[in-house]
Amino acid sequence: MSFMQPSPVKYACSCGILNPINKLFFCRHCPKLRCGFCVCHEIESHFCSNCLENIPSSEARHKKNCCANCFDCPCCQHTLSARAANVPVVRKTEEIKDGESKESPSGAATPPAPGSSKPSAIPTTKKIYYLSCLSCRWTTRDVGIPDQGVASGTWPDNECLYQARFNTLVDYYQSIVLQEKQEKMEFLRRKAPKQHKFPSLTDRTGLTVSLIRRQIGWHEKSIPKTKAISITPAEVTADVGGLPEDIFTEPLNLRNITTIAQRHGQPGDQPTAVSNLYPQRRSLWIKRSLRCRQCEHNLIKPEYHPTSIKYRIQLFASYHVPEVLMVRCEQPLQPGKSNAILLKFSNPTMYDMTIRILSALPPEEELITSEAFQKACKMNEEAVTSSPLVRAIGLTLSRQNSTREVKREVEDVSNAEIVPLESEFVLSQRDDSKEFDEDVQLPTEEPKFIVWRKGNKVLIRLQFTPAADLPANTDVVMGFFMQYTYVNTVSNASEKKEPTTNALHSRIFINAGATEKAD
Amino acid sequence: MPIYESVMQDKPPIVLDIGNAYTKLGFAGEAYPRKIMPTEVVLTTTGKTKRLFDYERKEELYDQIVDFLQTIFFKHLLVSPKERKFVVVENIFGQTVVRETLARALFVHFDVSSVLFVPAHLIALSTLAVATAVVVDIGYSETSIMPVFSGVQIMSAFKDQSYGGSAIHAEIKRQLLETGVKESLLTESVLEDIKVRTCFVTTMERAHCRSQGDENQPTPPPSVDYIICDNDTMVQVPGALRETVYEIMFEPNNERDSLPHLILRSILECTLDARKPLVESIFLIGGGSMVQGMLPRLQQELQHLLKNDPYYAERFHGNLQFKFFNSIGKQNFTAWLGGALCGATDLIQTRSLGKETYLKNEHVPDWSNLCDNRHAGS
Repeated sequence: MSFMQPSPVKYACSCGILNPINKLFFCRHCPKLRCGFCVCHEIESHFCSNCLENIPSSEARHKKNCCANCFDCPCCQHTLSARAANVPVVRKTEEIKDGESKESPSGAATPPAPGSSKPSAIPTTKKIYYLSCLSCRWTTRDVGIPDQGVASGTWPDNECLYQARFNTLVDYYQSIVLQEKQEKMEFLRRKAPKQHKFPSLTDRTGLTVSLIRRQIGWHEKSIPKTKAISITPAEVTADVGGLPEDIFTEPLNLRNITTIAQRHGQPGDQPTAVSNLYPQRRSLWIKRSLRCRQCEHNLIKPEYHPTSIKYRIQLFASYHVPEVLMVRCEQPLQPGKSNAILLKFSNPTMYDMTIRILSALPPEEELITSEAFQKACKMNEEAVTSSPLVRAIGLTLSRQNSTREVKREVEDVSNAEIVPLESEFVLSQRDDSKEFDEDVQLPTEEPKFIVWRKGNKVLIRLQFTPAADLPANTDVVMGFFMQYTYVNTVSNASEKKEPTTNALHSRIFINAGATEKAD
Repeated sequence: MPIYESVMQDKPPIVLDIGNAYTKLGFAGEAYPRKIMPTEVVLTTTGKTKRLFDYERKEELYDQIVDFLQTIFFKHLLVSPKERKFVVVENIFGQTVVRETLARALFVHFDVSSVLFVPAHLIALSTLAVATAVVVDIGYSETSIMPVFSGVQIMSAFKDQSYGGSAIHAEIKRQLLETGVKESLLTESVLEDIKVRTCFVTTMERAHCRSQGDENQPTPPPSVDYIICDNDTMVQVPGALRETVYEIMFEPNNERDSLPHLILRSILECTLDARKPLVESIFLIGGGSMVQGMLPRLQQELQHLLKNDPYYAERFHGNLQFKFFNSIGKQNFTAWLGGALCGATDLIQTRSLGKETYLKNEHVPDWSNLCDNRHAGS
């Protein structure tokens, strides 16, 4: 199994991109292969990857996609952990207690002076918390953030210094734009006066207008004009300061200067000195659901709970499409010389499959079945699912657009010619209990190319010839069409109960390895 | 203002500023970007990291942009792009193919509802609430200068040169290689880190002393031992390097295209009446302008040229004093901030390019395209 290395067997997705089967999905409603590129990604839920707490999307938006309790180290982006320390405090005097807990890291180690000077007071301890990075040993005490009495929730945010100015700017521009809009509307109104059927003077002039309008209960005709808020423009200055004198003499301590990653981690103020780093709220993660762009059915829908790694809907291609594994090549690869490759096919579904290996696209008639099925599926679904309004607006619009994604031609990368198998062969259904069967299957009449068969797996030998003009040390890629029968169990049609069988095909490219030097 | 509030609370527009080195991303109406991330994509096929705008074919760029936006939406912003409004801060002289591909990815692949393209220089100025300034954007691949007068960009006076962050990196690399450092150690991220943490722009007097090369050279600042963690090696960054790498922006040459010359020439190409206000309001944006000592040096150089260079002396009159704006927030996201301000207003409703309009003829209106510029057309 090629788990860590890229797989040599690639399937062409319906959008034209080549992918290994473990990166593909299979839409049962279309029924076609889909990949990460040609499906619609949606956000299912937000959660914190550290405390695994599920956070509703409105709250996530409010908290700027950050977890309320977890922090990242500003130095190395590792998660910070809260650490507790005991501080001896003197019960009697309130001020000391306050002063102490705010005081420096040495508080825990050395008892404060007032306590020792008054031996009569009973020393008690109080728990205080600070944040510490277990990876780079950074603590909140390093940068002078006071220790907190509770472990979470009370850590200060570093505010933005120019927030007030920014807010006035926003207000200013909003009012300007609004004013412009009103002026434009006013202009348009004057330019094209309303044609009344019965022009009335009281409608236009005189003191009575406002009286009548008020009596009827209409609003005042002249809307009070909004005035743009005035703003003080930024000051320009000729005094730009200068370089500090000691920059030419003082040695530079790189430990005190932040790296660019650390600065960008705090985009608001981007501190240059390490002492200005603040713990950063940990950003949330999401669970994604995937949706087919053509038929808008979900392909992947994760379970809601953050701790669960299961799915409610999972249409991975490896559950539906026969998997092709390259076992080995019989001889060393040489350009122009006939060779054979051993391929293992396995059937992941609960129904028998008939498979044909073709070197060209199967003829048209067989394709129609899948198209027809797709159409029937769509129509049924439209009849069943939604109200006419939704269908008219939402579905048609989005469907119209989602199909706009341009399908690209499959890039034909093959440089070897295969000999198509003379007959089709059957892959029996998957049966987990058979995996453990000891008894050998009865020898049956098998086509010549089948090497071995067990349960839902078949090993075949496929003849191929790499192109004659291949230079040495180039990868030999062979391409073929695999046609397989697929039993579709999805039934959103009420009248159709029995599963339908379609002949589907997918295009497969296999990288058989590099050619050897001809000798 | 109920309209804004409902729009803002529900689905604030997403503001993107895709730079050559770093991408700033966040939501409209917020005072700083959510994230500043390198403009890089991890290729799904090979797992290698690649710059977004390195491409050979148009389809390749499209795939990379889709991958990149996918990371932005689902790893950083955590919102579904479907039916969202977007503000994209763009370079006004940016490539059409990038712009069109970005629009296609957003509208066709991600199904967004509208995109508002705003020019970076102009929109950066909106963070100051002033209407007139020379906006100097020192970016990664280039430095560009756009004078804006009364809120109008003077396109004919636009100037740009190829010294930006990448040129500084190349200069650091050149100088370090001269001292005998192995080239394999000097990756782009190491060079960037050396630039950001150790280098600065020196004063004009010292730079002139150095360039004249006479006896009494100023003593260079202390050297720094820089540790490259990945290789467990130490590189000595000479003091002279720390001081001189930024000189490539100020080097006098016959082309007269160093940064101060470029600013002065740009101002000279504006009309007479506009020159004095422009001289008195210069606004530096972009990550490259955040280096220590840049502003004072630039002011010194400009004043020096104005006084001593006969070409400028006879064209600028009166007692001129170059003045500078301080940006709110950091300069590397000033343009983004302008976009965030713009996205918070009603302009997002009225000026955006809507999905239907785009899909009708699959084309982004562009100021440089005559089809979109004819008055009768609109």
